[in-house]
Amino acid sequence: MTLKFAAERVPDSSQVGELGGANLEERAPSGLTVAEDQATRLESIINAVPDAIITIDEKGIVTFFSAAAERMFQYKAEEVIGRNVKILMPTPYSIEHDGYLDRYLRTGEKRIIGLGRIVVGRRKDGSTFPIELAVGEAVAKGKHIFTGLIRDVSDRQETERRLHEVQDDLIHVSRLSAMGELASALAHELNQPLTAISNYLLAARQLIQRGPEHVERASDIIGKSIDQAMRAGQIIRQLRSFVQKREVERAPAEIGKVVDEASALAFIGLKEKGIHVAIERENALPEVPIDRIQIQQVLINLIRNAVDAMEGRDRRDLTIRISRDEGAVRISIIDTGAGISSDMEGKLFQAFATTKATGMGVGLSISRTIVEAHGGRLWFEPNPDGGTIFHLALPLSDRPVP
Amino acid sequence: MSAKPIVYIVDDEEAVRTSLATLLDIHGFTTRAYESGKVFLEDVDPAGPGCALVDVKMPGLDGMGLLHKMAEGNIRVPVVMMTGYGEVATAVKAMKAGAVDFLEKPLDEEELLTVLNRHLSHSQIAAQLEEQKVQAHARLAHLTEREREVFNGLAMGKTNKGIALDLGISPRTVEIHRARVMEKLEAHTLSDLIRLALVLGHRHADGS
Repeated sequence: MTLKFAAERVPDSSQVGELGGANLEERAPSGLTVAEDQATRLESIINAVPDAIITIDEKGIVTFFSAAAERMFQYKAEEVIGRNVKILMPTPYSIEHDGYLDRYLRTGEKRIIGLGRIVVGRRKDGSTFPIELAVGEAVAKGKHIFTGLIRDVSDRQETERRLHEVQDDLIHVSRLSAMGELASALAHELNQPLTAISNYLLAARQLIQRGPEHVERASDIIGKSIDQAMRAGQIIRQLRSFVQKREVERAPAEIGKVVDEASALAFIGLKEKGIHVAIERENALPEVPIDRIQIQQVLINLIRNAVDAMEGRDRRDLTIRISRDEGAVRISIIDTGAGISSDMEGKLFQAFATTKATGMGVGLSISRTIVEAHGGRLWFEPNPDGGTIFHLALPLSDRPVP
Repeated sequence: MSAKPIVYIVDDEEAVRTSLATLLDIHGFTTRAYESGKVFLEDVDPAGPGCALVDVKMPGLDGMGLLHKMAEGNIRVPVVMMTGYGEVATAVKAMKAGAVDFLEKPLDEEELLTVLNRHLSHSQIAAQLEEQKVQAHARLAHLTEREREVFNGLAMGKTNKGIALDLGISPRTVEIHRARVMEKLEAHTLSDLIRLALVLGHRHADGS
């Protein structure tokens, strides 16, 4: 590839004119023509750009292929120049590309020109990689020339993927630690059905030993024991689905049910604390596209915080209200606790900011990360009756909550 | 004759309460189950023989709080605390607060029956004693001053003559009083009389 070649193919006279502004036939001190001198300079500039630069004509034929493009796509310039640019794309883009060009030339409707977009490139060996593509356009003598600036974003995507992975891990770990805190309460909770099962079975055995005339009653009692085993299973099932490490997946969910399940987990072991709980909900709430487990994690976190805030207070009312907002469903967790001090207010959502003797102070920070990933919003305000209200708004569609 | 002892079950968990009542019914106990300490306190017979199986963790009045209320209300039904697995520290605290025993959930049948039988029979004896004491006190109230003096002397094992000498009356008069005392206290023999004195915790007669 030489720039002499490129210069012929980039007849944007205004640019060339700016560069030179003199007689192209004039000789520079180097002994080259001005045009040759400019071309050399332009070549060195273009080759210094880390992004790949490719130009094509109206038919999609490659007219220029920079050194960075050679490195990125593993083709030599001469292997590509004169061929359709679609060899640099995997299907289906390669099939559709001619259509895009045609449509643009016909309608002038811009789909990519002037905008950056992440697409997929294809190397000579057939492997694909993510690229960020920006396309510019020039018209000379009635002919369009398109210039593509291409950046390999594999690294960036890899970094982002790792970031998400770490975030997912953190979310999972915090879920596990929330469960760790619940573990002793849970042991108590499971011990109840186990005690009942054992009592019923002992009673049934006693009856059976007394003789066949007692079998019917024994059988009734065994039935009750089975009910209790089912109840224990239910508790474990809820917990398992909560702590499992899994792919994040969003699906339309009934928000009332999501809240019920989350509160069931959050309230484990809390009945001794004498908290008065009310769940208020509007009728006919729409479904919300969420990752159920993650949103339940947020709810459990908020509920446990509310409960902790009311420790030792005379009034211990916890209200969970589900209401409809503009384009969103809002869940409000209202406590009558100590409220949030002014010096904590600003840093409440920061990681490792905590007022608790135990705990890492990551709960709210993770909660907000989760909610924002859903395009939702998490904020708080003082409760007019004393205490704090946390609001969680989740969008009904993919559009984020304003 | 005292009433049949009652096993009181106090647990906020419906399933635990009902299953335990079922098991104990089958074993021939008379049970009464309550969902809270408050309801139990309203219904319990403070003097009657019985034993309460109380869950340590309950909303409102918990096991420990109930022990204090029972002490305040002079309710002498022995309390066996039921705790979750591994809550030994709580159990120790409960026993210091007056519980007679503790059982870990899930309950071991043999242990449950042993503990219950032990405390029910203690309670029964205590209740009988209490009953006799109440009756004895009632009878004692019918005695005149002089008759009471004679009774004191008899309770200490003194002879008619000795009592007569102490009180400065004739042995014949002592004998008449003694007959009246026996009649009023419904004692047929001298040994009945002495047993009664023991029930009453008779001490004052020895002069101390």
